[in-house]
Amino acid sequence: MTHLPLARLLSLATRQLLRDARAGELRVLFFALLVAVAASTAIGYFSARLNDGMLMRATEFLGADLLLSGSTPAAPEQVSQGKQLGLEHSQVVEFSSVIASDAGIQLASVKAADSAYPLRGQLKSAAEPYAAEQTGPGPQPGEAWAEARLFAALELSVGDTIEVGSKPLTLRRVLTYEPDRAGDFYSLTPRVLMHLDDLAATGVVQPGSRVRYRELWRGTPQALGAYRQVIGTKLAANQRLEDARDGNRQIGSALGRAERYLNLASLAAVLLAGVAVALSAARFAARRFDTSALLRCLGLSRNQALGLFGLQLALLGLGTSLIGALLGWLAQHGLFYLLQGLLPAQIPAGGLWPALAGIATGLVALAGFALPPLAALGRVPPLRVLRRDLLPVPASSWLVYGAALFALGLIMWRLSLDLQLTFVLLGGGLITALLLGGLLLLGLQSLRRLLARSSLHWRLGLGQLLRHPLAAAGQALAFGLILLAMALIALLRGELLDTWQDQLPEQAPNHFALNVLPADKDAFAARLAELSPHPAPLYPVVPGRLTLINGEPVRQIVSKESQGERAIRRDLSLTWAADLPEGNQLLAGDWWSASSDDLPGVSVESELAESLQLKLGDRLRFNVGGLDRDARVSNLREVDWNSFQPNFYMIFEPGTLQDLPVTYLTSFYLPPQQERRLVELSRAFPAVTLLQVEALLAQLRSILAQVTLAIEFVLLFVLAAGLAVLFAGLQATLDERIRQGALLRALGAERKLLVQARRAEFALLGAISGLLAAIGCELISFLLYRYAFDLAWHAHPWLLLLPAIGALLVGGAGVLGTRRALNVSPLTVLREG
Amino acid sequence: MSSSILTARNLSKVVASAEGELTILHDLSLALNRGDSLAIVGSSGSGKSTLLGLLAGLDLPSNGTVALAGHDLAALDEDQRARIRAEHVGFVFQSFQLLDSLNALENVMLPLELEGHADARQRAHALLERVGLGQRLTHYPRQLSGGEQQRVAIARAFVAEPDVLFADEPTGNLDSHTGERISDLLFELNRERGATLVLVTHDERLAHRCQRLIRLEGGHLVDHVEP
Repeated sequence: MTHLPLARLLSLATRQLLRDARAGELRVLFFALLVAVAASTAIGYFSARLNDGMLMRATEFLGADLLLSGSTPAAPEQVSQGKQLGLEHSQVVEFSSVIASDAGIQLASVKAADSAYPLRGQLKSAAEPYAAEQTGPGPQPGEAWAEARLFAALELSVGDTIEVGSKPLTLRRVLTYEPDRAGDFYSLTPRVLMHLDDLAATGVVQPGSRVRYRELWRGTPQALGAYRQVIGTKLAANQRLEDARDGNRQIGSALGRAERYLNLASLAAVLLAGVAVALSAARFAARRFDTSALLRCLGLSRNQALGLFGLQLALLGLGTSLIGALLGWLAQHGLFYLLQGLLPAQIPAGGLWPALAGIATGLVALAGFALPPLAALGRVPPLRVLRRDLLPVPASSWLVYGAALFALGLIMWRLSLDLQLTFVLLGGGLITALLLGGLLLLGLQSLRRLLARSSLHWRLGLGQLLRHPLAAAGQALAFGLILLAMALIALLRGELLDTWQDQLPEQAPNHFALNVLPADKDAFAARLAELSPHPAPLYPVVPGRLTLINGEPVRQIVSKESQGERAIRRDLSLTWAADLPEGNQLLAGDWWSASSDDLPGVSVESELAESLQLKLGDRLRFNVGGLDRDARVSNLREVDWNSFQPNFYMIFEPGTLQDLPVTYLTSFYLPPQQERRLVELSRAFPAVTLLQVEALLAQLRSILAQVTLAIEFVLLFVLAAGLAVLFAGLQATLDERIRQGALLRALGAERKLLVQARRAEFALLGAISGLLAAIGCELISFLLYRYAFDLAWHAHPWLLLLPAIGALLVGGAGVLGTRRALNVSPLTVLREG
Repeated sequence: MSSSILTARNLSKVVASAEGELTILHDLSLALNRGDSLAIVGSSGSGKSTLLGLLAGLDLPSNGTVALAGHDLAALDEDQRARIRAEHVGFVFQSFQLLDSLNALENVMLPLELEGHADARQRAHALLERVGLGQRLTHYPRQLSGGEQQRVAIARAFVAEPDVLFADEPTGNLDSHTGERISDLLFELNRERGATLVLVTHDERLAHRCQRLIRLEGGHLVDHVEP
């Protein structure tokens, strides 16, 4: 054996592998790896595609995938660059204009859009006010559509002519829904939609007039990403880039959490994969100690023996991973097929990445977890052929396992694109495993003393665990990790669904009422109380603009592109309140304590305060209807923007703004079937602007329903994978049990005794694993809630059921899975000597 | 001693134990020529297997030297010793050491496959026919009796035509009748192929079929019988 070229080693490895496979030697490792790769591929595909699908829905809120907006027109090259990248483009210009008719004038918010608008979602309109909605393309040149309230305010009917600037337009339809209007609750004025081609003829848009230019883009994620890169750094001071996530807080936070959940589920699958592969790879190696010793006797060098086993493992890993990825891909197709009625018709295919990630997961898990046992194979002394008690010198496995963990972390990170989540999960898992493993060893050792007095089947069953406490601790940890992953995914599912339920209760306000005049306030409130069970209070609103902070012009302080910049660009809705509004939380300062000087107090929303770099005690100047008002920041408030309640950036101390012209604002719930009563309300209070947000709510609900569905299915996936891995793990511990079973049978033990012993052993193992899982789950969920999901953590008493669940699951699966050990012939022991 | 295939000079083996150092083999020398057969006998713990392990290069002595086919084993590293084993040595073990996942034919083919012989299958097949297992080629070890397993092991040991065959209690796991037939086979093949045989056994009858016999007690050579 002077020379063993790679080709020969490869062909030897292949032949050995095929022979091993035929002899049933590889079943456990193959199965574990298959499950692991299939599960992570399927979950990878499922979450990637679903995520894309959900994002697609969410893009409706922008009317596009990506939006470039600014107060000046986009530079020609900004548009041409997008078109060069193959993106679809649409242009929209928004401005305010007075609309005149024979009955009077009304300030309207006009949107001039080209024929491509909208790129995502659809326009809806009706032939008459409050008639049935239809979807279809927008107005043609020469036409205009308007909201029903403009028809009411100006006593218009379809077919009448209105003038926008100096351009007369024929009112063709009643505008009922613009996809990108939904997020914009506080538009006070009714909408008029016209064709962009007519814009120049209106003469309204002049240099210096307040206009919003919006460039809408649609395309593949790659092209959009490329466009972002090209123009992202070269935006003008007044320009912003937005995608679905930036566009809407509710959608953004729901999507963000869902994404994290799906990521977490795929991480759990990877973790399960790791456990499965670790268990079976160790068995794979142990069963090859003799082979390795014999091959060395036959003249193979250590490196050649290692190479042979390594190649076998690599071939096995590659082949199995490919099959697993294919299975995973098929599984998710089946799933989408089952769900086709509930999901958007077109879901992106998901590409190759989830399959590659699945394969990489399998290979890295195999390499990471099989390497230490494999390295041990190289150290099997050839003398083992004479003395079977010779085992390989124990390795300094720390380094190798460290490398395995690192590799696992790398996969998790790549899969989740979330370093924090990966750290929390991996670090939490590791610390938990080490701590609990140590405790477990101590516990097992103290069990020894109890054992002496118990009955035979307990002694036999527990003896099995206690004889090798380190191995038993390893098994309990492995099963514990499986239970933990399953429990964690189940736990978070419930938590997320509850959070969303809270966020969108059945009767979330679906209408806003603006511009309620002080004279109408009481009458309106009384009328509202008849219509709606729990209307929000009527909040006074005074439009005002923030001009100075501590004497400095605000524009010099605020960075471009920040939330603060957006807030000061327009009038803020200022209000006053004696009590902290519901859903607001005081973060710093006091709610109206006597201030040190004569300046009134103002309460500032905390994110805006951060963006404007405001501190308690800062002096602010607002311009309200041409008058300056000074106030001092007396507290900072956190606002729940997810609630459909009126929310305010600035709340003044009572008695500060009362002398200014004020209107009132509220929100309320009206059942969809009572929509007609809205018309009555609007007739009774013609000055009041009523905004319907039902469409937004419906859209949000449908997205959340989709996410919920996805989460349920992912949970099922993880549970199924967990059970499969549990079985694989039990199979991996079979050898020792077969030997013990045969020996006991040979010594005359009855089958019943063996069953009882087995039951005792696995039930105890399961209970311990369940306990570990419960502790670990609480620990990790605490970290996750706090650092990844931004949820309030509380204890989960049902986790205390986990030891019982573990005992049942592991006990049942253990007895089932090791049936062979009970039926084995005692001759086996005599043969093996 | 120019024709010696295996020479041991002043071999000692010392191991560490709880009571301090323990010498399990004391200052032992021997030389074997091609075609010789040597039996090493002694009670359990007398150092037989230790000596076999040293002679075969599976382990290294604390003192002394072993030369196998002209190579000083102590001067070689483990991989180089592995090469010597591949070229010159065959083994038969008490516990057979067949690979469970390979059938009889594949077990015998293994040494030839490791060397890359194209005719591995034919040669293994022929040798299995020779040891009387022509009908059991595709049987797995667990489907074979102890005697049959040992025949497979013997075929495997001879298939690569080694210069020296080491046999460690080759009949130890077999009944006396089967053991008899296995030892017949072993000596027949040894004669046919002209290999040197080193046999560890506590079966005196088997030992006396060898040309030479050494007896160990507590690691000391107490008897050396030459024909």
